[in-house]
Parts: sequence; structure tokens; C-alpha cells
Amino acid sequence: MKDLKPLEQDVQESKIAAAGGQEEEFSLNDDRRVKVLSPNAMVLQRFFRNRLAVLGLIMLLVMFVFSFIGGVISPYREDEQFYRYEDQMKEYVGVVRNNDFRYTVADGQKFDTIMQAEFQLAVNEERDNFDHKGTTYDVMKEGEDYYSISANGTMLAIAAKDIVNVEGAEIPFDVKYEALKAYTNEVESFAVNGKEYGVDEDGNILDGETVLGYISRFVVSSASADVVPGRVFKEELEIAIDNDEEEFTFTGEDGVENSYKISYDPTTLTWSVKQGKETYVYDSYANPGKEHWLGTDSNGMDMLTRLMYGGRVSLIIGFIVVIIETVLGVILGGLAGYFGKWVDMLIMRVVDIFYCIPSLPLIIILGAAMDAAKVDPMIRMFYLMLILGFLGWPAIARLVRGQILSLREQEFMAATEACGIRVSRRIFKHLIPNVIPQLIVTCTMSLGSTIIMEATLSFLGMGVKFPFASWGNIINDVNSAYVMTHYWFVWIPAGICLLIAVLGFNFVGDGLRDAFDPKMKR
Amino acid sequence: MAENKELTQKQQEPLVYDPQYILMVRNLKKYFPIKGGMVSHVVGHVKAVDGVTFNLKRGTTMGLVGESGCGKTTTGRTILRLAGEKTGGDVLFNGKEVYELTNKEMRTLRTKMQIIFQDPFSSLSPRLPVGEIIGEAVREHGLVPKAEFDDYIDKVMDNCGLQPFHKDRYPHEFSGGQRQRICIARALALNPEFIVCDEPVSALDVSIQAQIINLLNELQEEHKLTYLFISHDLSVVEHISDTVGVMYLGNLVEYGETVDIFKNPLHPYTKALFSAIPIPDPKAKMNRIVLEGSIPSPANPPQGCKFHTRCAQCMERCKTEAPVQKEVEPGHFVVCHLYDE
Repeated sequence: MKDLKPLEQDVQESKIAAAGGQEEEFSLNDDRRVKVLSPNAMVLQRFFRNRLAVLGLIMLLVMFVFSFIGGVISPYREDEQFYRYEDQMKEYVGVVRNNDFRYTVADGQKFDTIMQAEFQLAVNEERDNFDHKGTTYDVMKEGEDYYSISANGTMLAIAAKDIVNVEGAEIPFDVKYEALKAYTNEVESFAVNGKEYGVDEDGNILDGETVLGYISRFVVSSASADVVPGRVFKEELEIAIDNDEEEFTFTGEDGVENSYKISYDPTTLTWSVKQGKETYVYDSYANPGKEHWLGTDSNGMDMLTRLMYGGRVSLIIGFIVVIIETVLGVILGGLAGYFGKWVDMLIMRVVDIFYCIPSLPLIIILGAAMDAAKVDPMIRMFYLMLILGFLGWPAIARLVRGQILSLREQEFMAATEACGIRVSRRIFKHLIPNVIPQLIVTCTMSLGSTIIMEATLSFLGMGVKFPFASWGNIINDVNSAYVMTHYWFVWIPAGICLLIAVLGFNFVGDGLRDAFDPKMKR
Repeated sequence: MAENKELTQKQQEPLVYDPQYILMVRNLKKYFPIKGGMVSHVVGHVKAVDGVTFNLKRGTTMGLVGESGCGKTTTGRTILRLAGEKTGGDVLFNGKEVYELTNKEMRTLRTKMQIIFQDPFSSLSPRLPVGEIIGEAVREHGLVPKAEFDDYIDKVMDNCGLQPFHKDRYPHEFSGGQRQRICIARALALNPEFIVCDEPVSALDVSIQAQIINLLNELQEEHKLTYLFISHDLSVVEHISDTVGVMYLGNLVEYGETVDIFKNPLHPYTKALFSAIPIPDPKAKMNRIVLEGSIPSPANPPQGCKFHTRCAQCMERCKTEAPVQKEVEPGHFVVCHLYDE
């Protein structure tokens, strides 16, 4: 309180002087006369003596600089998305070792499922024929797990556990038959219709140098439609499976080397092969670092930049909503207070009705309606401001009305009437300036609560929408406990921004209220 | 002076303007409605001013005395049309019925009739500098050319004992006496003919009271002002007034020259009131008349003479019949049955 001493002295001097004392020392025309302080200057003086209020002001200034200048300085755009390469294991193919007979039916013949069943029985009982519908079919063992079925000397079908995979043109039945026979009996060549074919130990069926197809016991099926495993890949895969390898690398035709992981599932007797592939993905939830000081969010956008733009949106919405509220509230409250009677009655009943509206459900319903109508995010922001402003005016109207009612009875208002001052001047020069202190305090406080309201709505997805950032919808990214516990930088900075802004507004509001109250002596 | 013999005032002949009187008030009434009941409706009236009749000569001061709540202030405000519409009666200012003027005419007339309020603290707008408070109405009515405006305000402030450099200061920086001077300056700046002084000194201490009274007297001589000086301080009224009116429960019970009233009070209430003035002589024996009971409610005044409940000389007639104003001596009017012929 030491710094107050000179001021008090000055006040005393001025009092001596003002009382009409004619002391030469403190002559009123002297330069030493205390500076004239208008009521507003006094309010400011009192305000700046309040440490908490100054702290609030500094917090607000920081938030404003951060939001409005930060966005300009930041090298990134509000909705700029960042990408990174990531190794992703992707289900590539599934492999099954075939343990069932597969049937290949000769051209023009029939071998239906009942006959297949009869054949199976015959093989199991090691018979060399079976009867079906009065016909006897001969089963001939051609090799290991390889049989041919014929009736009356005509070959109907072959049954084998090895599978002939066709490469290119269809292989004729005869060639298949002979190839399988050669493969199972480990013969390297065979002839069909006087033409020489070869079978190598990998099961390739060769017509001279060209590969017609290959024989293999593995069935390789691709996991998705866009995957077409090539012959070489399948071979490599078979080798790897035969060697019980868990990993292998393969260089495809496009020259890209990929790594694959093989895992065997004994319950289904299948191997599943996953391809590790470098993919270009959103750099989501990147940790804070040199490039992104506060990391990135789930969409791979720079968190710090989002916070800056979010602050801009939150503060602008706060201000516009409060301006709408205040304009409506002052006009309607002023009308009610000044004219009284039925005008007052009508407006105050409207205010009562507005107080009955449950605002949160209403806003959520309107938000859902806007979702359904696919309102543009920008337009949506304006609607949000209008709705919030339109719901918020009654409190201010009540305040203004009450103030004006009490001011109207003050004698200085009677004096203006006695002096014949016109009504508009009476309202704007005498009434409104006396309401403004309370109004400023209420508006400052309601700025804080409006920002909270906006954040709540945005968090619920009813307020500001992507691509626009707002502190609320930044926190909205925290949609699971995992994100909350692992990516602190997603929600803590936004929470702190909200806290600082709202606390700042409340401190300043409190400080202003104390400063405007002349009875507060600090 | 026409005596109001008829009880039905509506059939009265119009009040005839007499140029020697700046203000003629006849049978002025101002009732305030009392609302009550389940559904808000008027259940009665506070009869704040219930038939006040007097004439005020130019350049004179009329004192209006009476105890608290008797309607002095309301009378002053009703004359200036500051309390909404009147309930009844006539107010002629310079021959014009104040309540028949349009808003525009009324605003012009406002410059001619001013008021100084009782409370110098609430009657100054706290957010305007003093120069603006004083000069606002002058500018509003365009009374002074723009070029001379500042000089004019300086002159008015100087007249009222304020330093011209006080112009830029705000009311909270002034003492009560200075504030009252500001109020006077505000009223005077419009160059009025008639000022209602509504207890202008009651909020001030005695030394400042004397300053303000003397200032008012000086200004009256200088500007030929007419005052309606409302006060409950009898010695101040005796000092400043040429004529005095005594009010009781909304009625002007006695009215006449100051000398007559103070030397020869006629109405029992006036006698009781004036007996309370202390005599600055230790040997003199005070002969106080103590009134019994308290003032009845103005919402439910007694039948007949309103004073009969407390009157020492109450007669049977007083309880039923309201007395009318009679001129007992020339220029000395009283409302009492005691002086009926």
C-alpha cells in the first residue's frame, strides 16, 4: 500500500482546494493541481491495482496473441494433413495343403458327387471297383494318392490329391492324366498322342521349353481380390512352408522386395501369409517433436496450428455471441425498463418463456437437423452463433431492465426531464452510460461461459465442424481411454487453452466488477 | 381571488390569467394509485396533493412548509409536470395551462421553469463532467450561439460560486455544497423565470446552508427570479420567503404574507407548527402546542377537515364538512371552520 501514499496526499490536497480554501500553496490554478480523473479513468486505475485482474488480462492477451497472430506465424494451414510411411502387415494369401481328392472329369463324361462318394468308399476299403446304378466302375491306382476311374474300359475321371494348376491355355485331360501319373511316379517325361512332355521335380509340366502348368499339393488363395500371387511366389512360398520358415522375402516382378510372415494355424491346417508393405498413411497421433511441437491429431494435422485456429474460432464465436446477446438484451431490456407498463409486461414474459427453454437439448436437436441438412461447416458456424446469441439475451435484458428501472427513479433523470432534454439523449447519454458498467461485467463473464458452451457443443459434435478447428472439437478426438492415456498432447493443451481463456475472462470480469464498484477501496 | 364555494369543481369557470402572477395554481390534485389484490388492480389512492390553491407573484419567493409526507415535494413536481399527469385542477404558468401543452411546447417551456433538487448527490449524473451537466440543456435548446457557449458556461459557473476550471471534473470530486451549486448553475444556465427549490439546503450543513441561501437571494435580485421554496425548516423559510403556504396532508391549510403568517398564524395546525420554532432567548417561555397522535395516512384521510383528528379546537362540524379556502385578511387565506362568519 506504500505506492498509494502520494495519491492519498493528492486527494487531500484537492479536497482542501475543492472546499474553497484559499491557501496559496495549493491554489487551484496551480500546476500542482491533481489531475482530473474521469470515472472511467478511475475504474481503470482501480482495475490495474487488482493483481488478479491484471493476471487475467495478461492471460487473455496471451490467448489472443496465440490465436490471432499464432495462426499467421504458423507454417502450416489449419487443415493441412501430414503423412508418413508405415510398415503395415497385411493379410496377403492363405495356403492350404490339400488332403482331399480332387476330381478331374474326362471330356464328355459325368462323375457326380454320389459316384465320388462311392469311389471314396472303395478307396478306403482298398477295393478296385464299385457299383453304382447297375454299372461297375473300375478303380485303378496309378500312383501315391492317385487313382483313375473307368467304366467298361472308358476313362471317366481321375482323382488325385495333387492339383494341376493351369498356366495359360487349358491343358487337355489326357495330358493332365499323364502328367500326374508321371509326377506321382517320379518319371521325368511322358508322351501323349506321340508328343513328348516333361515333368520336372518342382512339378512343372513342360512342353519343350514352355510351361503349361504345374502340379502342387498346396492351394494358395489370395486374401483380397487385388492380390494375384504369381507362380514363382507360390513356389518360394511352398519351399518356405516345407522348411518350416516363418519369414521370407520375395522380390516381385515390379522389383519391389517385400517381406512376408508365415504363420501356421494347426486347427484349420492352414498357413496364413502376411505381407509387410510400406504404406503412405496420415501421420496421426505423432508425438511432439521438431516438426510438430505438440504432435498431430487423429487426422494427421499439426496440433499447435489447430489450437491456434481453434482459439480464433472459439474467441470469435464467443465475441459474436455476446455481441448478439448484448444488442438484443440492451434494446429489449431498455425498452422494458424505460417504457414500463405493458411493454415491460410483454418483454418480461418473453424473457420468462426463454428461461423455460432447455437450451442444451434444443441446440442438440438443431445440430442434428443441420447434420441431416448437410449444412456447410462455415454456415453452420454462423447458425451456431445466432442460436447461442438468441438463447442468451434474456439474462442481459433482465439486468438492463432492472438497472434502468432503478436509474429512472434517480433525481438526475428527473433533472434531465425538467431541463427538457429529448428522450433519445436521455436514454443514450444518461441511462445507458450508467448501465454500461454492469453490462461490461456481465458480458465479460458470459464470454467465458459462451466459450465453454461452444466447446461443449463442439465436443458433442454439434458445434463447430471439421475442417474448422475449435478447442471443443480438438478434445473430441479423445474418443477412447486409449487415446486419453497414450496421447496426452491431444487433449491437455486444448484443455489448458480453454482453462486459460475462461479463467482470464472471469478474472477480468471480477476485476471490472470490483473496479466499477466505488465502494471497493483497494 | 375566487373562492371555491362549489364542491363540484368540474363546472368551475376557467381560471382567469392575471399578469402579475407568474404561476396560478387552483385546486391542484395528484393521486398515486395503490395496487393490490390477487389480480393487480387499483384498490385506492394516495392523495399526495389534494386540492392546493395559490397564486405566485413575479419576482417573489413563496415558502411551502409542512411536516414530512404532507405533499410539499409532490406539489412542486406536479406544478412542473414532472410527476406524470395531474389528477385534477389547473396550473397556469404565464397564463398557459402547463398540462395542455404538447411535448414540444412543454420542452420549450422547461427552460422557463426549473427545479433544484433536495439531494445534491443523486441529482447529478455521475458519468458526465460538470461542464456537460450544466451546459447540456443549454446546447439542447440552442439558447446560446456555439461560439459563446464556453464563455457562457464559465459565466454561469462563476455566478454560482464555482470555478470555471471545474468544468472538466466529475460530480464525485465535489463536496455537497459545491454539488448544490452545480445544481443551481444547471437550473440557472437555462435562464429561467421560475425555480422550484425542493429543500435545496436540507442535505447541507448549516454554514453551507447560509451560503446557498444567500446565493439564491443574490441570484433572485440579479435575474428577477421567482422561487417556490419548499422546506420544512421554518427559520430558513421565514428568512427567504415573501409569502408562505402551510401544507397538511395534501392540503394548503394556510397561505399569506410571511409576516402575517409568522406573526399571526390562524390555522390551529400552523399555530402548532410555529410553536415549535425555538426562540433564541433563554428567558422567553416557550408555549408549545403539542399535537397528539400522528399524521393520518394520505391513502385514507379523515372525513371532513383532515386535521380534525389532531385539532385542539375541533368542532362537530369539522368531522363531517370539509372547510374551504377563505380570505380572512387581505392576502391571508386559511382553510378552517373557525373563521367562518
